[in-house]
Amino acid sequence: MTLADDTSVSLTLDLKGLLCPLPVVKMSKAIKELEVGQIVEATATDPGVMADIPAWCRSTGNTLLALDRRDDHFVFRVRRDA
Amino acid sequence: MARRLPGGQTMTTDATAPGTAELARAELEKRFNRLVGTSATNLCTHCGWCIDTCHVYLATGDVRLSPVAKADLIRRHYKRSHDWMSRVFPRWTGARRDLTEDELDDWVEAAYQACTLCERCVVNCPLGVETPQLLAAARGTLTALGKSPEILGQLADAAIAREEHLDMFSGYFLDQIGVLEEEVRDKLGDPTARIPVNEPADILYVPLSGAHTIVPQAVIFNLVEASWTLSMFEASNYAMFIGDIPRAKKIAMRVIAEAERLGVRELVVSECGHAYAAFRWEAPKWFGGPLPFRVRSIVEVLDEYVRDGLLPIDPTVNAEPITYHDPCNLGRKGGVFDEPRRVLAAAALDVREMTPTKAQNFCCGGGGGLVAETDWAEQRLTFGAPKANQIAATGATRVITSCDNCRHQITELGERYDIALTDVVSVSELLMDAVLAAKGPDLQEER
Repeated sequence: MTLADDTSVSLTLDLKGLLCPLPVVKMSKAIKELEVGQIVEATATDPGVMADIPAWCRSTGNTLLALDRRDDHFVFRVRRDA
Repeated sequence: MARRLPGGQTMTTDATAPGTAELARAELEKRFNRLVGTSATNLCTHCGWCIDTCHVYLATGDVRLSPVAKADLIRRHYKRSHDWMSRVFPRWTGARRDLTEDELDDWVEAAYQACTLCERCVVNCPLGVETPQLLAAARGTLTALGKSPEILGQLADAAIAREEHLDMFSGYFLDQIGVLEEEVRDKLGDPTARIPVNEPADILYVPLSGAHTIVPQAVIFNLVEASWTLSMFEASNYAMFIGDIPRAKKIAMRVIAEAERLGVRELVVSECGHAYAAFRWEAPKWFGGPLPFRVRSIVEVLDEYVRDGLLPIDPTVNAEPITYHDPCNLGRKGGVFDEPRRVLAAAALDVREMTPTKAQNFCCGGGGGLVAETDWAEQRLTFGAPKANQIAATGATRVITSCDNCRHQITELGERYDIALTDVVSVSELLMDAVLAAKGPDLQEER
C-alpha cells in the first residue's frame, strides 16, 4: 500500500523515535483534532506500526489509506471516519 | 454533565441517571472474591503504615492519594454489603450504599491516575491488605460504566483485531520480520541466521511490537542455537489494565492457542512487566488451571544462557555506570530479582544498586497503563519523583529495565528531573552489545 501524493493531508505527525504503544497513542489523540473525512499523515521509525496502525484503524473504524516503508522510517495516512 | 478531573481531563458522567449507581454496585459486586473481601472488610486497621510507602504520596504529600485513603473509597461500598457491623451501623463505619457522580470521578483518580497497582503498599502492610486488588476492582467497574481511559480500551481492541483479521496483517508483519532478519544476519555476520515465525519449536518467544524486542533476542537465540520461533502476536495485554477480564482472556488466548498448536515446551515473554503477569499468573487464574507449557520471562532465559556459559561476553563494551530498575510485575510481584542482576554483572563493568532495592524498589510511576494515557503525563511524571531521586543518587548514566512502560517513563523522568542519562535500555539489548563485542570481527570465520 503506497502513498498517493495528491491525497489532501490536514495534519502531519512526527512519531519518529517512539516505541509501542506510543505511535498508536499519539495517533489516537491527534485524530480527535480532525473532522470526519480529514486525513492525518504520520512518520514513525518503530516497525511495530506496520501491524499496530492497521489493527487500530480496523478496531476504531478509521480508514488506513496508505502505509509505506521509506528507507529507515514508515509513513502512513489515516482518514478519520469514526 | 461534564466535570474537570484533578488531572485536567474532562469527563462526562451521569451517575445521577436512574440505575447508574445500581449498575456500579452490581459491577463492583461481580469483582468481590476472598482476596478482595478480606481486604475490603475488617482487615485494614487504618494504622497508616502504608502511607509513606506509596510513591504517589511521597511525591505529593497528599494523604488523600495514600493507599489507605484510596482503598477506603472502594472499601466503604463493599463494607455496606459484606460487613455485618456496616450493615447494622453504617454511619459508625463509614459504609456507603449510594454512589454519586463525584465519587465515581474520585474513583477514576484513585484507581487509575494515582495508582499504578505497584503493590509496594502490600509488601509493607503488616496485615497484607491488598489495596491494589480493591482498586483493580474499581477499574473493572469503571470500565463497565464506560469511564475508563479510552486509549487503553482502544489498544485492547486493536490486539483483538489483529487476530480477527490476521490474513490482513500477517503480510505487513512478515515483511517486517524479513527486514529484521537481515539486521540479525548483519549483526552476526551469519547469512544463515533466522527469525523463524510460527514454526514448531521448543520455545515460543512473544515480543512486543518494537524491533528492540525482537532483534537482540533473535541474535542471542541464534548464537545459542535455540529451538525457537517468534509469535505472530505481541505480548502486551491492555485489557488487564482496565480490569476487562473477557477481553484480557481473548488477547491472551491468541498466544496460548498458538503455543499449543506449535507444540512448544515453553512460552518466553518479552521484557514487559504486565505481559509477564498476564501469562505467568493471571492466565492460569482466568482459564482455571496451569497452562500446558512453562512460562518464563526472556530475562530468566538469558540468565540461564549466561550461567551455562553459552554466550561469549565482553563487559568492557558496557563501561558506563548502570543501574537496574525492577519493574513491579517482574520484581515485587513475580520475584524475578536475581536473574537480571546476574546478567548485568556479567555484561557490564559498573553496576550500581538503587536504594531501596528489589521488593522495596519504587515504582517508576508509569505502570498500570499510565504511560499510555497522555492526558495524565504531568501527574505520572510528578509521581515518578521518588524513582528519579533513586536513579540520580546512584550516579548511573544508563538505566536498564525489563519493561517498556518503565522504559518510557524513566526516559521522560530523566528529562523532567535533569538526570544525565545516556539511555534506558533492556537487559537483552545490553547483553547483545556485550555478546557482539566478544564475538568481534572473527564472528564470520567461527561460524
